[in-house]
Amino acid sequence: MGEQISRLMDGELEGAEAEAALRELRGADGVASWVCYHVIGDALRRCGEPTPGFAARFAARLEAEPTVLAPRPRRVPRLPLVWAAAASVAAVLVVGSVAVSMLDSPPTAIAKAREANVVRSAQAKPQPVPPDYLLAHQEYSPTTQIQGVGPYLRAVSAGGADGRP
Amino acid sequence: MTLRREPFDPVLPWLRAVLFALAMLAAMPAARAQDAAAWLARAATAAQRQNYVGTIVYQHGGHVETSRLVHLFEQGNEFEKLVNLEGPAREVIRSNGEVRCYYPDAKIIRVEPRTFRNAFPSLSPQQQAALAEHYNFRMAERGRVAGIETQAWVFEPKDGLRYGHKFWADAASGLLVKARIVDERNETIEQFAFTEISIGGKIDREMVKPTWAVAPPDWKVRQSGPDEADAKETGWTVSRVPPGFLKIVEGFRRLHGTREVAHLVYSDGLVAVSIFIEPIGGAPHPTGMSRQGGINVFIRQQDDNLVTVLGEVPAATVRQIAHSVARR
Repeated sequence: MGEQISRLMDGELEGAEAEAALRELRGADGVASWVCYHVIGDALRRCGEPTPGFAARFAARLEAEPTVLAPRPRRVPRLPLVWAAAASVAAVLVVGSVAVSMLDSPPTAIAKAREANVVRSAQAKPQPVPPDYLLAHQEYSPTTQIQGVGPYLRAVSAGGADGRP
Repeated sequence: MTLRREPFDPVLPWLRAVLFALAMLAAMPAARAQDAAAWLARAATAAQRQNYVGTIVYQHGGHVETSRLVHLFEQGNEFEKLVNLEGPAREVIRSNGEVRCYYPDAKIIRVEPRTFRNAFPSLSPQQQAALAEHYNFRMAERGRVAGIETQAWVFEPKDGLRYGHKFWADAASGLLVKARIVDERNETIEQFAFTEISIGGKIDREMVKPTWAVAPPDWKVRQSGPDEADAKETGWTVSRVPPGFLKIVEGFRRLHGTREVAHLVYSDGLVAVSIFIEPIGGAPHPTGMSRQGGINVFIRQQDDNLVTVLGEVPAATVRQIAHSVARR
């Protein structure tokens, strides 16, 4: 089931399959998979690696931030202030919980992700459009028939692959 | 007016009007299908039969490249030469069915011994219907391109699975002098355009000869092409091709010199998508998405096979197709 969520994140699902994956996400296991795959993804991209004590330091710095209010001549109604306070509390909660959940994620997952990174980095680098395949394809495309040899420019383009095997 | 009035029954004229409208609606796509197919046939014939020479600019992504193109039609034979004027001096030579690409920088000549060219223009009735069903084909503006009077035509896709196409044809001969592919935001992703062209003039046979009449001894000649058993089942199926794409070719072909590669081609009458499947053992291979102008490529490893899907369609379309390749 985790695989469907992974494919959803990669944008490979659509229609009924996507619906099914989204339903899956409503369950607790689904959310766990979602978070786990994002941690893996971040590790693969070498970004978002949490450092120890991140949540505590973030909370401390947020605390130290001066509250900036727009200077207005008229008295600001009470209610928006309450809402703003609620919003910042909510923001702290969200950011904090994400950070904590990232710290909490099993270290094995990150280790595995790092391991996979070695293999994936070779795979993730896409080739330039391979000229062999491009030439073989070009024959059958109706656009080639109406444009003459023009589209073959794709195969000999200086910006494209150099034709080496 | 010879129609008999039915003053006592107001339903009948109303019904007649509705039926007439329905009949018109039913007739319209068919008429447009023929229009689009007839237009494509005319453009293909012009590309094949006219003599022309000009400078062509190829734009894709942030790149702009200029090339020289010469086309000769002589006693039923077709010759064409394309030389790029920037970067490494690569060239493409077509003589009748055969296409040769010269890569002096890599010392390689790629040869496609037999091409599909003469099979066109002959869209099947299903392809004609698919064209009308999945594109709005319409006439656009008249104007000058490369110094000549042109008529523009647009194929506007009805779904997000294909690109939009705009063509500018010489008003006199029907020859295309500019072609553009646009994405769903109507932004140009690839364009071929003549900046100057002379149509119908005298072309010398020398002008379409390759620069390298004989391949230099240290160059590699890579002959690709279909095997004897050309049209046969490959044992592979593709379940999620977009509606309107029909299989036009299935067989094995030789790529990279020796390997046998299964090749399936689907076309919606305007563009095509190729699916290549080849055994690679368990060896890891670069996979993922790449693109050049209007061509998107998606490569994935499926068990011990490498699946390569490419065509003049959006990235999501080649990806969707690649993920639906299965053993029959």
